[in-house]
Amino acid sequence: MDSPFFYRNPAAPAAPSGPLAGSKIAVQPNLSVAGWPADAGSNALADFKALEDATIVKRLRQAGASLCGATRMSEFGFGLRGSRAGEAIRSQAADAELVLDLMGESRLAAIRAAVCGFKPSYGLVSRLGLIGLIPSMESCGLLAETPATIRELLKAVAGQDCLDFSMPDDEPLDLAPQDIDPPKTTIGVVAEAQSGLTAEQEALFRSSLDQLKQAGFSLLEMSLPEFSLFSLVHRIVGSVEASSSAGRYDSVRYGPRAAGAKNWNEMYLLSRAAAFGPLLKSYLLQGALFQFERYEAYENACRIRARLLRQMQRLASRADCLVFPAVDGAAGGGPPLLADTYGQFAWTLFANVTGQPALYLPPPPDAAHAGLQLAGARLSDGRLLALGEHLVNLHPRGK
Amino acid sequence: MEFEAVIGLEIHIELNCPTKLFCDCPNRPGDEPNRNTCPTCLWFPGAIPRLSQAALEKAALLCLGLGAEIQPRNAFDQKVYYYPDLPKGYQLSQAHLPLARGGGIEITDENGKLKRARIHHVHMEEDVARLVHEIEGRTPISLVDFNRAGVPLVEIVTEPDFSTPHEAIEFLKALRAQVRYVGSSECSMENGTMRVDANISVRPRGASEMNTKVEVKNMNSIRHVGDAIAHEIGRQSASVQAGEAVTLHTRLWDPDKKVTLPMRAKFEGPCIPDPTVPTIELSREWIDDMRSRLPEMPATRAARFVAQYGLSGEEAAFLSSDPDTAGFFEALTAEGIAPRMAMHWLATQLLPAIKERRQELHNAPVTPGRFAALLRMLSQDQINANAAREVLLRLFDGDQPPAAIVDACGFRQVSDPEALGALIDKVVDAEAAAVADLRNGQGKAMGFLIGRVMQASGGKANPKIVRELLGKKLEAIL
Repeated sequence: MDSPFFYRNPAAPAAPSGPLAGSKIAVQPNLSVAGWPADAGSNALADFKALEDATIVKRLRQAGASLCGATRMSEFGFGLRGSRAGEAIRSQAADAELVLDLMGESRLAAIRAAVCGFKPSYGLVSRLGLIGLIPSMESCGLLAETPATIRELLKAVAGQDCLDFSMPDDEPLDLAPQDIDPPKTTIGVVAEAQSGLTAEQEALFRSSLDQLKQAGFSLLEMSLPEFSLFSLVHRIVGSVEASSSAGRYDSVRYGPRAAGAKNWNEMYLLSRAAAFGPLLKSYLLQGALFQFERYEAYENACRIRARLLRQMQRLASRADCLVFPAVDGAAGGGPPLLADTYGQFAWTLFANVTGQPALYLPPPPDAAHAGLQLAGARLSDGRLLALGEHLVNLHPRGK
Repeated sequence: MEFEAVIGLEIHIELNCPTKLFCDCPNRPGDEPNRNTCPTCLWFPGAIPRLSQAALEKAALLCLGLGAEIQPRNAFDQKVYYYPDLPKGYQLSQAHLPLARGGGIEITDENGKLKRARIHHVHMEEDVARLVHEIEGRTPISLVDFNRAGVPLVEIVTEPDFSTPHEAIEFLKALRAQVRYVGSSECSMENGTMRVDANISVRPRGASEMNTKVEVKNMNSIRHVGDAIAHEIGRQSASVQAGEAVTLHTRLWDPDKKVTLPMRAKFEGPCIPDPTVPTIELSREWIDDMRSRLPEMPATRAARFVAQYGLSGEEAAFLSSDPDTAGFFEALTAEGIAPRMAMHWLATQLLPAIKERRQELHNAPVTPGRFAALLRMLSQDQINANAAREVLLRLFDGDQPPAAIVDACGFRQVSDPEALGALIDKVVDAEAAAVADLRNGQGKAMGFLIGRVMQASGGKANPKIVRELLGKKLEAIL
């Protein structure tokens, strides 16, 4: 597995025109590109080839970008096991990558590759052609060297899609560059979001906050006492949605059917059992448990989700943006466990629960502090990227 | 011990809108298999359902026609179960927030007493694919036809308000009439656009608690629903009598053996809100707009027919039970045909002739205009009733105006007193014996003489005038 690519586009890029002309973009095989294999990293879709372009893909092509291939991904994009997201940018095989963000995958992949990673507001980008797992949480993330590149990509793909009725009727976003005036810009710091950090991680986060202060921003301490519930809500709602929506990814139609079954019912059961990997299987089983046996827990989780969303909105309305630790809580190379996976994404999944935009900025080279994770109110994507641009330009990376 | 039955119905109705519920594929399940499909109704990875506005409107009209209350906020859920006719693993249905609640239909029980059968709720859902089982060589194979997958359905769930097969049948007939009225579906059990499941339990007469119910499926006519319920009441009563426990399960009606047979344990899977189909929010204005589109419903129309046209209650109910028939009737009266005549000829002549030809009233070659022209000739004595019946049958063969057929066939009645007088003179001369009988007081001979005159005219004489002239003639000679 030397190449980060699962599939490379054999067609040479045309000589296109448009705002993204000349950009090479890598996708993952969970985004439909007509004729390309689209297994979403799973045996359950081993033989599936996409029939038509996803809306995002269509819009990238229209803007002049060329698609260079699809990179290796985790099963259905859940977590980062087996994912090679970010590497294509590092090796300059691609200018940008599209990475599905279910619980923070695009931002954590960006941490690993030391590039910028952005999860847009929920509903800002069409999901038509996206082979997802947790419909109400996931959003197509964008990875690139700079927030400016991300903004150009977002301009091309964002906005109403008449084929995706699930998008809210939002006004088109203003994604033009914006000036940032640090003294007039308040950045909120949520106290409870720092619990669970190691002493070292906490120190790094503190030094990141110092950098912001030195850059002239005013920091505002805030409190969200129920922050730890984000993980629980994501785990219950996410697993239930996954368990239900993965019903359509049955190895019977697209993957290898299990041999030796006595009847179709048994063939179906055996094929599905063989199709999914251990991490996803435990996730689907957990979701099925809540669906069949603990439905009231699922309903409670939905209620708590609505409450968390309101609390987060209140915080976001008091500041221009919020800053969160950017931590890859990877648990090492043990067997894939749900608890470890959730631990790894403990500082990113809040934005998937609320649908708000979140941006990871890598630290300048040789900096003593960690990168930053900024988040804003839903649909504040333009402001967030402008802020990111401002911060990145304070310390040009000199590449 | 005497038992009474508690019966509730679940009725699936296929809406007749042009496309499927969540995509633009044609809503024509009967086409060549797998013709009407796309990534959405094949439930491919990456596809997104898009709710059809037309289906929502047809469903809302249906609910309003039944007096059900449209819910301003309703939503789709994923009803999880797997079967090869549902490879997606879940059906989009409205389990938690249905489109409408309440409503009901007045029916008459066996004793002619009015009774209201209440509707619990009405929800929308997508149909699943159709399985076709075949033998290829010696291997049994199962094929899946996705033309039906995603076809828009509504499910009407009643309260357990029925206690006899008769009441269930009455309800289904009235329901069918009302849904046809609003134009949301043809509601044909024979063609599968209306499917009925019955939930049946029995208990000692007068008891208040309900026993375990059994669901019965696979009835393909309203009569079969009645037969299946009757059989199931008998079966359950016998088994309770024998001290056996009734278990919750589903049974299939076997129309040949006229029995219900066990199929499977009833499966109730979980339902979670679908995150992709947006919640449907309907404004007061939208609901009012839908209500304003409702046609006059059968009961109201029947009452108006009684008041406006002087029809009997039974006649009015018959005419208004079907919107096409009622519309045809009113078109005839608008053409100046007397209501009684229009009612009589429609019910006893035209409708049977159309049924015999397996045609539909709304697109049959006998239009209200042509039929009215025929009836007008009859009422003006230009033709007699026999000729009118004959011309009606010929109206099905082409588009000639009735008058042309009457002339071509020489059916026009002879009412000219001179021509008829000559015929009468001839008959009276020829039938001296009959005239003699009359003279001797045998009244029967009058009919005989009229018959002879009719015969002599080749059936064209106007019998009224013949009787009149013959009477005068005989008076003169007797």
